[in-house]
Amino acid sequence: MTDTALNPGGAPRSEAAMNAWRSREFLMRLGLYLFLSALTIVMLFPILWMASSSFKPQSELFARDMTLLPVKWTLDSYIAVWQGTSFPSYFLNSFKIAVASTALSVIVGMYAAYAIARIKFRGRYAFGMLLLIAQMFPQIMLVIPLFIVVQKAGLLNTHVALIVCYAAFALPFTVWMMRGFFETIPEELEDAAAVDGAGILKTFHKIILPLAGPGLAAVTIFAFIRSWNEFLFALVFLQSRTMFTMPIGLASFQEEYTFRWDLIMAGAGIITLPILFFFLLMQKFIVAGLLGGAVKG
Amino acid sequence: MLVQQRKRMAFWLILPTLLLIVAFKIAPIAEGVVVSFQAQSMMRPNPDAFVGWTHYKRAIFEEGVFGAALWRTIVWTVGSVAGAYIVGLSIALLLNREFAGRTLFRALFLIPWVIPEVATALLWKWSYGDEFGVINFLLMRLGVLETPILFLSSPGAAMASVIVVQIWKLYPIMFITLLAALQSVPRELHESAEIDGATVWQRFVYVTFPYIRPTSVIITLLAAIWTFQNFDIIYLLTGGGPADATKILPTLVYEKGFWGLELGYASAISLLMLLCMTVLSVTYLLVYRAQREET
Repeated sequence: MTDTALNPGGAPRSEAAMNAWRSREFLMRLGLYLFLSALTIVMLFPILWMASSSFKPQSELFARDMTLLPVKWTLDSYIAVWQGTSFPSYFLNSFKIAVASTALSVIVGMYAAYAIARIKFRGRYAFGMLLLIAQMFPQIMLVIPLFIVVQKAGLLNTHVALIVCYAAFALPFTVWMMRGFFETIPEELEDAAAVDGAGILKTFHKIILPLAGPGLAAVTIFAFIRSWNEFLFALVFLQSRTMFTMPIGLASFQEEYTFRWDLIMAGAGIITLPILFFFLLMQKFIVAGLLGGAVKG
Repeated sequence: MLVQQRKRMAFWLILPTLLLIVAFKIAPIAEGVVVSFQAQSMMRPNPDAFVGWTHYKRAIFEEGVFGAALWRTIVWTVGSVAGAYIVGLSIALLLNREFAGRTLFRALFLIPWVIPEVATALLWKWSYGDEFGVINFLLMRLGVLETPILFLSSPGAAMASVIVVQIWKLYPIMFITLLAALQSVPRELHESAEIDGATVWQRFVYVTFPYIRPTSVIITLLAAIWTFQNFDIIYLLTGGGPADATKILPTLVYEKGFWGLELGYASAISLLMLLCMTVLSVTYLLVYRAQREET
């Protein structure tokens, strides 16, 4: 499908034919670019529309004649959402919870990942299977029993419950991915350290961790994005507005500020921006991580 | 001695992970089973009273909500996964060639996958609006429509509308895995098929597809599992309405548990849902294995 598709007749013989072939190839390339660009715009249209809507003054949002780009660009909706609503506190809550749960799952998970990557202990296979199976259980199924447990523990409407739940739910994936990264590090490096008399933990901290930096970063970003976006547990566990995370805070705008789509679009923009930034920054890593076997769970 | 020490160390290294996973993912399943046989209604006293199969009978026979929601969940899952597969594969085939800017297009086409669910649902809700929605505006301006379609608030259109959103969310993961699989197709095979006079379609079916079939099966299965249990998109777009038109199993469970405050009943429905998921995925895997042995 690559070059052959552009040159089905094989190599042209005469110079005239060569020129004809060149211009044909040029046209096909041009067609491909035009088509791909059009397709990109169609596929990304809802996002472009969200961005454009968030920069329009409220009057333009509900105008009879819509324009693709704002006639008058303004940051009014961002200012309104940041100063006139509880959005800043939702943002802060989300950030706190995402940082704490990500740290918990990455720190706990990296030791487990190292153990299954390097130590041949009994039950290693069973542990790996447990991780895979745990990954399969739907959140919607676990939310009822977890709600009962959290309620009994008196942790409803607290961030602690969410932090621990998010960490536990990110763990199977975190361990699985990190195991893959650790396995790519040559074992001889550790053997040398072991000869020098360093213990397992010391070897891990001094030799493996610094080398696994990129992998750790990718896993950390995955876990962070997960917590940042999570909706169902936050919806069920949190009750007062002051505790809300961004996803449920934004969803609650629909009732609180009916028809204020300017606020909602600006809020959606604020939730999306950090994620989009991380993604574009780490795009190659993320794609490689995705294709490295384990896919988002 | 050293080996023994290492093995003992392994136990301590995995212990925290093990505890968290057992406490938050395994034990709740057991708790859920227990709860599904208890009254567990916030409106009645004595929540722990044993009620036997009452909830299950009610869901399947008396109220019949389970069957109806299961059918909608199947429509939702099959529609979304099939749609996302077709879109994802088309884009993968387009990008499966060398050209400058390929990485850029690859990144752009992946973007919907990273948009948070809540933002996805809300931006589509805004675009789907009847009076101020951009989709209706464009369709009317182009003369396709006379009057706006009530994408989310008419029972006839709601399911198709939410499926479109899920397709949009799901196609990137399909396209990126299929693109990787396409790179394993040997080019010589294509060339010789071409020399033998195979059409584009024939080349796809007999040359390309056999190479991407294993990946296709796995990614379709995974996407089906995610979609089957997806709660956010439908909850945020329609809440299961209008007139139950999009009430799939996850929104039914939520509604019974947290609006109806009947946790026992909701838990029974969620276990029935897990059963369906298990049956589906096991069947699927068996079919897959049988296919593989044939070829």
